[in-house]
Amino acid sequence: MTIELGRAQDTRWRSAGAVACGIALPLLLAGCGGGEGLSSSSGRAASAPAPAGISRNALIGRWGVASFHTEKDRKRTEAEARAQCKQPYVIAQGPGDGVMMHAADDPKLYELRLKAGAGGKTYLGFEAPAGDPQDRELLSVKPKEIVARFVDPDVHARYGTFIYSRCG
Amino acid sequence: MNQIIRAALHGLIVSGLGLAPVLALPGVAAAQPRPPAALHETMDVGDEPGRVSTEEVSITEGPYARQMVLYRSSEAPGTVVIHSAERFLYVVQGNGRALRYGIGVGREGFTWSGQVQVSRKAEWPDWRPPPEMLQRQPYLPRFMAGGPGNPMGARALYLGSTVFRIHGTNQPETIGQAISSGCFRLANGDIADLYDRVPLGTKVVIRHKATL
Repeated sequence: MTIELGRAQDTRWRSAGAVACGIALPLLLAGCGGGEGLSSSSGRAASAPAPAGISRNALIGRWGVASFHTEKDRKRTEAEARAQCKQPYVIAQGPGDGVMMHAADDPKLYELRLKAGAGGKTYLGFEAPAGDPQDRELLSVKPKEIVARFVDPDVHARYGTFIYSRCG
Repeated sequence: MNQIIRAALHGLIVSGLGLAPVLALPGVAAAQPRPPAALHETMDVGDEPGRVSTEEVSITEGPYARQMVLYRSSEAPGTVVIHSAERFLYVVQGNGRALRYGIGVGREGFTWSGQVQVSRKAEWPDWRPPPEMLQRQPYLPRFMAGGPGNPMGARALYLGSTVFRIHGTNQPETIGQAISSGCFRLANGDIADLYDRVPLGTKVVIRHKATL
């Protein structure tokens, strides 16, 4: 009951905020849209090169996904990932040169692309410099398994290291 | 004041979602630009896999703090008695006393009562988000090995052959609320304390309504 009330309040506040933003839209487009990444300057700065050794085709497909926090759990997490194909995570080709995936804590799909980073590292994320906090670092990419983690230390601490095991 | 800030934040989030396609710059980049940072603070109400709560977090103040209380019961010492409606779990001590813990319980439609035994115990149990949660939060792993970001928390006591458990939580602020799917949750420090007191085979009585 308490939660339902909370939701109702949230909806009201969201509506109010959205209306307020809508009214202010013509004047405050940049402020309302907010952040970095939406401006043309950050768009230009974001053009990280694609990695040489990995194509997006290596990511496209259906995957069983599991995560672990400590190395001792890696083996059984790999086995769990292989067993999760009954509810696979689907990575589809994006309209550009990226793939459609989720960022952390956000249920919306985005087109994310592969980026080559310093030290031969490979990242997957928005149009931002490679290694951006919202990126995933791809620790290994094999035909049947991808190992990845979020770059943001807090997000990584919360979700751990992801194992993607290709289905089929 | 906080509500005002939240209102403004939500406004930005909502309108930011709507604006993203409008503001995309064709030809500049193949992948999408980053959404506003605030977007990533939105999560559904409910379980929050990934949130960290350490083993040390206990409820220390108010009625839901762990405390010895007067408790008249015909149950043998060591028995666990759960009063869902009151949001309390008691470990009967005898002599008219019990150790009381504040708990979170099943939301409406997810409450139950009965008598079971502790059939299994696990430290930092693994977690599998249910299908309905995966629909809301599709970015979740389908399996999360036990750890501080796991909604099952630091310990779990499995109840008989049911799907229900007494477990920890990475959301200690939900203690005293009715939001679970039928499990009973304690703050991690409190479930760790309970875990050490309750051996396998312990009788657990779950009462939903008050009894005289």
